[in-house]
Amino acid sequence: MSTAKTSVCSPVGTSCGIARGMTGRLGATAGIRRQRGPQVSCYDRSEVEVPAPIGAGRQAVFAPLDDGSGRSEAVVRRLGSAIALGLIADGEQLPAEAELATSLGVATVTLREALSDLRRRGLVETRRGRAGGSFVRLSEPALSALSRSRVRELGSADLRELGEFHAAVAGTAARLAAERASGHEIGRLSATLDRFEQAPTTAGRRRVEGRYFIEVAAAAQSVRLTRQEIELQSELAELQLFPSHTAGWAKVALERYRAVVDAIGTRDGALARRLTEEWIGTRTLGMIEVHLALMAGADPAQQVDGVPDVLEGGTLG
Amino acid sequence: MTGVVAGPGPFAVAAESLVERVFGAVDAVKARLLDVLTTGPTHREHLQSNDLAELRPGLIEVLADHREIVVGMGMIVAPGLLPNERRRLEWWQYAPGREQPSALQVDLNPDSLGFYDYDAAEWFSVPRRSGRRHIVGPYVDAHGTDRYLLTFTAPVEVDGTFLGVIGADVPVSRFERRLLGTWGESAVEVTIINTHGRVVMSNCAHALSGDLVSDIDPDGSTVRVDLPDVPWHVRVVDRSAGLPIPPV
Repeated sequence: MSTAKTSVCSPVGTSCGIARGMTGRLGATAGIRRQRGPQVSCYDRSEVEVPAPIGAGRQAVFAPLDDGSGRSEAVVRRLGSAIALGLIADGEQLPAEAELATSLGVATVTLREALSDLRRRGLVETRRGRAGGSFVRLSEPALSALSRSRVRELGSADLRELGEFHAAVAGTAARLAAERASGHEIGRLSATLDRFEQAPTTAGRRRVEGRYFIEVAAAAQSVRLTRQEIELQSELAELQLFPSHTAGWAKVALERYRAVVDAIGTRDGALARRLTEEWIGTRTLGMIEVHLALMAGADPAQQVDGVPDVLEGGTLG
Repeated sequence: MTGVVAGPGPFAVAAESLVERVFGAVDAVKARLLDVLTTGPTHREHLQSNDLAELRPGLIEVLADHREIVVGMGMIVAPGLLPNERRRLEWWQYAPGREQPSALQVDLNPDSLGFYDYDAAEWFSVPRRSGRRHIVGPYVDAHGTDRYLLTFTAPVEVDGTFLGVIGADVPVSRFERRLLGTWGESAVEVTIINTHGRVVMSNCAHALSGDLVSDIDPDGSTVRVDLPDVPWHVRVVDRSAGLPIPPV
């Protein structure tokens, strides 16, 4: 759905914003070959001329970087968050270097630098020969390290503002969903949370959680909130693989989300909103604590693997 | 001023005629598909990817013929039916700012944040289960067209095999605009409501598209009529009595 998105939502300063001029760039992704089994749709291009299935989220991955810096770090972040969200599938082949550089709007040399960084991190594998190219590898430790460096890089005020903005969008969506979600939609939300509970990996949990937020916005019957939430999820993916989806956090998050869906079910919009805002606030605070610890040179694994300080501090009552 | 309150009849008739216009497009695409399947160069027992490519010109033609109301049309194939593609959409739409229809591209990877989970979508699952046509919406088509839509679908079954659904998307705002124009000025509040209790559209500001409304009619001032073969009913309340439709 490239074009509708393109014309309505132009990216303003988001790191993984929705594409400008994406329609002309579909070719960049059309050539991607899927490497996985039957669960991934695979187009035989000799049979049909339609480009490979993409979706708005995927299109945004290959859109020009809009921070204007042209830095290889921005490319690494963009592709890293796309891998974390499954927008580029594990094992998928990236477009050829020249093609990818053009679609991202960076110099080929910058792209090479980024690919070499991703290779070093274990997120991309390059194979030589006729069937060669750059292939994506979903490595959780590598993604975790990547988001750790992003949490470190951003300022605490940046992190706070991002959290506040997400709370505004998701909180309003939860309130409106309590007024407008049908019984069917509420059932879907519960099913999504079941999948959140059962997700076997951190990255899997992260993706299901993103879908939960997007579904709440859709249940609010708001196209604008839904689009905004999709954009936010792409941006948050750079940060939140760590620490908020480790087991200790996930358990508390699940409780909170179940309570929100219950409030939506009882049509208590004020409660649904408050619970959503409070939880996002708690998590943002946790992220800022990690940021500060990283800046102070602490080993972040201490804060990450156990139940986080912020949860033990009684803020959740 | 004594108002003779019109019943839902005329409003329902206008709605029905617009609904049938859209289903007319769906039926036309369905007929084209059956043509492709039965008159192809070789007889095929199963739907193949080629059939969808062959359907494309006819599909685009029907879409163009209904452009005043329909924004997108296509076929969504039953998962697992095609040998090489677990899931497949052949969907064309008029994207904003473009004269020619373009193919809708969605993410069909179940492990993706942006997965377009059509098996679970009501516009797919209900016709598959019931074998009958269906209208879904208003709903936000997240991960798909990103529009606020009514989606009209009908199942396609050949020799007892469910092949998928054929459907048409109508933007909620467009449906509302066309029908409000037809309804004209009215002394009564008219609301079209779907089976979820959700307002499809109305001519009053306190029950807008997407709102949920209650079925309670405490003083019996509401007159309702079901639309034939459509999961909607039309409700009429005498505005002069000052009885808004109560919220949930």
